[in-house]
Amino acid sequence: MTTRRTKKLLYVKERKAKFAARQTTRAEILHVEEEGYITSDKVDEEEQRTVDLTQTDIKSSVDIFSAQKRFDLELPLYGPYKIDYTRNGRHLLLGGRKGHVAAFDWQTKKLHCEMNVMEQVNDVKWLHIETMYAVAQRQWTYIYDNQGVEVHCLKVLDRSLHLEFLPYHFLLAATNEAGYLSYIDVSIGKKVASYNTRVANGNGKCGTSIMCQNPSNALIGLGHAGGVLTFWSPNQREPLVKMLAHKSTLRSIAIDRTGTYMATSGVDAKLKIWDLRTYKCLHEYRTASNGASSLSFSQKNLLAASYRDVVEIYNDICDNESASNELPRYLLHQCSNGASASSLAFCPYEDVLGVGHERGFVSLLVPGAGEPNFDALEANPYQTKKQRKHAEVKQLLDKIQPDMITLDNSVLSEIDRKGFIRKQEDKRNNFNFVKPKELIIQSDKKKGKIGKRLARKTQIRDTKLKEFLQQQQLKRKKNKN
Amino acid sequence: MLCRNPSDYVRETKKDIVPVQRNYDPDLHPFEVAREYTRAMNAVKMERIFARPFICSLDGHRDSVQCLTKHSTELSLLLSGSCDGEIKLWNVAQRTCQATIPAHDGFVRGICVIPDGTAFYSIGNDKLIKRWSMDNYDAPAMTIVGKHVFTSIDHHYKNSQYVTSGENVSLWDEQRAQPLQSFKWGADSHAKIKFNPIETTVLASCAADRSIILYDTRQSVPLRKITLQMNSSSLAWNPLEAFVFTTANEDFNLYSFDIRFLQRPFNIHKDHVAAVIDVDYSPTGKEFVSGSYDKTVRIFAADKGHSRDIYHTKRMQHISCVQWTADNKYVISGSDEMCLRLWKAKASEKLGVIRDREAETLEYNDALKEKFAHFPKIKRIARQRNLPKHVYHAKREHKTIQESQKRHEANARANSKPGSVPFVSERSKVILKEEE
Repeated sequence: MTTRRTKKLLYVKERKAKFAARQTTRAEILHVEEEGYITSDKVDEEEQRTVDLTQTDIKSSVDIFSAQKRFDLELPLYGPYKIDYTRNGRHLLLGGRKGHVAAFDWQTKKLHCEMNVMEQVNDVKWLHIETMYAVAQRQWTYIYDNQGVEVHCLKVLDRSLHLEFLPYHFLLAATNEAGYLSYIDVSIGKKVASYNTRVANGNGKCGTSIMCQNPSNALIGLGHAGGVLTFWSPNQREPLVKMLAHKSTLRSIAIDRTGTYMATSGVDAKLKIWDLRTYKCLHEYRTASNGASSLSFSQKNLLAASYRDVVEIYNDICDNESASNELPRYLLHQCSNGASASSLAFCPYEDVLGVGHERGFVSLLVPGAGEPNFDALEANPYQTKKQRKHAEVKQLLDKIQPDMITLDNSVLSEIDRKGFIRKQEDKRNNFNFVKPKELIIQSDKKKGKIGKRLARKTQIRDTKLKEFLQQQQLKRKKNKN
Repeated sequence: MLCRNPSDYVRETKKDIVPVQRNYDPDLHPFEVAREYTRAMNAVKMERIFARPFICSLDGHRDSVQCLTKHSTELSLLLSGSCDGEIKLWNVAQRTCQATIPAHDGFVRGICVIPDGTAFYSIGNDKLIKRWSMDNYDAPAMTIVGKHVFTSIDHHYKNSQYVTSGENVSLWDEQRAQPLQSFKWGADSHAKIKFNPIETTVLASCAADRSIILYDTRQSVPLRKITLQMNSSSLAWNPLEAFVFTTANEDFNLYSFDIRFLQRPFNIHKDHVAAVIDVDYSPTGKEFVSGSYDKTVRIFAADKGHSRDIYHTKRMQHISCVQWTADNKYVISGSDEMCLRLWKAKASEKLGVIRDREAETLEYNDALKEKFAHFPKIKRIARQRNLPKHVYHAKREHKTIQESQKRHEANARANSKPGSVPFVSERSKVILKEEE
């Protein structure tokens, strides 16, 4: 029932919403930084292709600050390295398979801690802040302080293969060698859920390490042996979405920041780009044999793929309008000494790609990869200690409960039509009822003194009657005989 | 190549503030609705945590408090009259009693302050009207002997006239010892008389024959009379809307009337479980406070049908008078156990100086609570109040009574000719008759 008053209230609300939208777009004028890009001067008659540029070319043509971001770390002893950047792109975590774990501020090269955990390290992950990180070791998962002090040993996450951290829900998700996906709430230290992700395709061996989180709706995507891709939330035992991505084993998944595009690569040497809203394959490309071993999306939708020791970066791969089957290569890099790349990560808010390989770590310059204007209230690369402490408290207060993780984020902001209809039905039913018919359960009545006497009397009468009848029968038989 | 100059993002000296760069692109802010919902939950929970409305009690009276008035010009002055004939002047800001005046021989029935604040009138069971000056409390400036007991007094908002109610409603001039005019329309006695603050010639009274009578000082005859089902104890005019008044009725409800259309109240305020004794509007005209015989004080929004908040204490007995202070922040209740109690109008409001950032956060929290008000969990927390046991049980009983009445009506409707049992709105059932 719309009265004049409610109409006016709605009109005022709409006007305010429009004003807010206009003001936010006008605030774009305050953005200071601009994206990076590569312009090629026309040399000879051909245009110089960006793919032909090497890292040394790029390094020599940028300013000294940016040139410092291109560096190589030679760590040949401790095996292929897994890397992780913090949410604000300031700190870097390296984990070598043979146990070497190091955390440092990669821009100032200040080392926080470096140690050997004396165990096989499967994965490393920063938690919400640069003072805590989780290391998935062979037996259990440990949480360390940035000084290298062991803070917790999570026996719940045993034999984890891959870790993912959901920053807005404070959930640490881990896949198991035995095929279990577990969620732990890091702020209170409780296990939220643990599901068996064995996909029924008759595969005896379980436990995939192909895992990726969808940053826009906090679902975890797992890749399984038969090319099956499943999406999980901590509220359901069954996967929310199950799709057949490739015809053979998946090698890697990557989802972009807005949750619209997904890139998957499989052993069948295909690289597919999917639209995550409709689950349709947008593009399909042929890659080098055996497929890309790892994929990563940057904030500006550049895709990095690693094929053994070669790292390729593609731009405009999602919105590629051209019908060609050629991968739109942007840049290329070959790791020194043929060391195969094991882990790729774009640094948030910087034009840098970090590659962890067999013999260490290399940081590559990729103009146009990072978001130029950050929001200091979300992730601030120039955070002071006080700001970090305040931000941690605010993050904890805004922690979203895990039961709000759904496939479609917009459900909360829509009108609950079904609930409304149901309530109206209930109201209508309540007013028309005659009298509530209560379910009267026939309880076995307890016999009082009189009841018991009566029961005994009837019993005696019955037995007497029985005897009398038996006697009569005997008499009849006697008479017959 | 993206390259940031750190000096743009870091403060120069220790005395500077730290720069906070903002980017409102929604891609950088995922889970907007979920995060705002969490913040709304926190806001609602904190509101309940900080909801401590009781401030202090002003005691000193030696018999139950009968009437309360706030001073017309001084914000912190409050006048209260008790049943042993004493009038006390309180300084509410300092929580002290400024003066005690042994005014009357019996009950002090009413006090009213003249608009310029230099004097006040008091009436009592000893049929006297006494005028006191604010400088000298030893002796009244004027005493008028009346013919019958006066029950209530109110002063004109502009002129130097005042009106008393008792057996009949009399309009007096400040200088004269005899009333200028007397209105009478069938009732034996009137419980309350109130002048309209905006249409200053209009007044309304609650009569003992369950009616409410409207008068105009420019006419010699009363304007209108409406008869309700039960007696009204008190009424209050809305200070911002000239044609609205609210009556506190003994059938546990308050009724808001528009004087242009007296056939039905435009709002019924239900929540009390015993007779409502007194009502007073907030200076904004958007809310009012009511005190009832069921030992609770309730605050209603003027356009809503149920109360926004309830105040009660184990020690507070039947309430006889309520006032809303002129700065919109406090509510004062006077009750049978000789105490005046000072409450906050908004139970979780922070008193004292609030810094800018804090005020901004509080406003943001209010906006969040309003935006997510219909979500079931948030609604449940926002509505939660601890009720005293007698109120809780009485409410449950009333609910069953009402449900059974509705059920009987629905049955009668279902089992008779369609249209023979029409739907009658509850507001139409209130008034028995209206006379001119």
